[in-house]
Amino acid sequence: MSTRVTGLLIALGVLLAPPIAAAQTPERPPMIAGCLTENLAFHNCALQKAKTFNPPRTPTGRPNLQGYWRSRLTQAFSVEGVAENHPYVKDPVTPWDVAPPEIVEPADRRIPYQPWAAPIGREGVNFRQYVDPRTTCSTAGVPRLALQDPSQILQPPTDDHVLWLHDDHHQFRVIAMDGRARPGNDVKMWNGFSRGRWDGNTLVIETTNLNGYTWIDDSGNFYTDNARLTERLTMIDPDTIHYEVTLEDPKAYTRPWKAAWALVRDKTPGGYELFEESCREGDRDLRLIREQGFKLYFGAPWRLR
Amino acid sequence: MRHGFSSSILVAALLISAPRAGIAQAPAIPRMPDGRPNLQGIWQVLNTAAWDLQDHSARLGVPAGQGVVDGTEIPYQPWAVKRKQENFAARATADPETKGYLPGVPRIMYTPFPFQIFQTPTHVAMTFEYAQGVRIIYTNGTPHPEGPIEWWLGDSRGRWDGDTLVVDVVHFTDQTWLDRAGNFHSEALHLVERYTMTGPDHITYEVTVEDPKVFTRPWKMTMLLYRRKEPNVRLLEYVPGLLMEEEQGELERRKTN
Repeated sequence: MSTRVTGLLIALGVLLAPPIAAAQTPERPPMIAGCLTENLAFHNCALQKAKTFNPPRTPTGRPNLQGYWRSRLTQAFSVEGVAENHPYVKDPVTPWDVAPPEIVEPADRRIPYQPWAAPIGREGVNFRQYVDPRTTCSTAGVPRLALQDPSQILQPPTDDHVLWLHDDHHQFRVIAMDGRARPGNDVKMWNGFSRGRWDGNTLVIETTNLNGYTWIDDSGNFYTDNARLTERLTMIDPDTIHYEVTLEDPKAYTRPWKAAWALVRDKTPGGYELFEESCREGDRDLRLIREQGFKLYFGAPWRLR
Repeated sequence: MRHGFSSSILVAALLISAPRAGIAQAPAIPRMPDGRPNLQGIWQVLNTAAWDLQDHSARLGVPAGQGVVDGTEIPYQPWAVKRKQENFAARATADPETKGYLPGVPRIMYTPFPFQIFQTPTHVAMTFEYAQGVRIIYTNGTPHPEGPIEWWLGDSRGRWDGDTLVVDVVHFTDQTWLDRAGNFHSEALHLVERYTMTGPDHITYEVTVEDPKVFTRPWKMTMLLYRRKEPNVRLLEYVPGLLMEEEQGELERRKTN
């Protein structure tokens, strides 16, 4: 266990250490934007709110999602949730909070893995044998970046791109809104290639060209390089975005599945700005983790099976 | 008659060129809705500054190149001349960039990889294919945060001087070099960058380099940023540290199999 903690502690900036997002469970108030905060209840409530809420607009009339956002109704350990009897709940080193699944579909709220894939994800081979790729200073990937506090959305008034900036390891997502074709299948990227469009008041982002080298959460849940992710960002009040992601991967899952949580506007008094969270540049711990026998991931368990 | 004919040609030429002469002050460049120059797009240098800021012959794996330093010489303090020479000798392993680190500013501007600029009235953001670097330049009138802060890409605050974006950058580390040839700076580095569009597809990039711990006076580099115009151009990823690890993982796997 202690090696896992070391891993979490790697993500420190050179001087200004930001919050260690993965080790924290953000507060979960009873209500957000008038919705209960158990993820499925929130999701269903938010879908209703989205029908009537008229969001603030940019000068060109698009919903204005710009600002600084913090992830809420999230826990980083597993999108399948942390049950009361989970051994890590009372663990002295990594006391994970009990939390509901972030998964809202299918009804059992578990990842619909194909039989070969379940023992690799879900606290399986990945978790026990490999270094969490986020710990190697890679990106958290999609959708895990949206779990990592905080982020900033910029919407240039030319409406041709949306830029989603993340504190986490200075990651960014360029979302092309100009209808351009995606690159060929053999171009693989850590954060994939994202194309966006407006569906009413919802920003829909479709991401392909993923290399499958990232995890979905700390417990090693994963997708392959065949994944196609569809995110939907909808404001449900002036300070809350309903975030929903659908994950499709015919190589690893039996059906698409969905997770949902909230992005809540940062209202730090005096304003807020992102920090440069360098990672590799200040890394002291990866060697120690490797010495414990953990292997580098790079998708090996699904790629080489 | 002949003279008159020439004159009329001359007059016509003047009439035609008059608007052009006017444009020379304000070239036909794309503009944002607020009238500012629209710097957005994917850009890249076409020079060899990443290998050596100064004039240099070809070396193995390094194209020959002409310097980007105004006045050719970099005004190092005497101790720093020696350090630069040591850096050069050890560059294959001593250059922090070889470890896959963020290459610093201004070096990230002239790594031979594309980068993309985004603009809103309050921000200019630059995202880099190389090492997933990001620069957020605040154009909202806010000052630099109080230091000491040591960031690999510094803290950037911008303002518009007519059609030129002027960016003040401070809060650096002493851990980055200016090029592979060992040119270097301290954490006291202070940059003033000037981005001026000279046409729809070119930005003149000038950067004044000030570092009282290393140089005897401020000095300047000038280069061009070219718009990448391929219809299918997109920002892809080149993350050197991860590529090194991937290769290492592959070697380990082969060894154990």
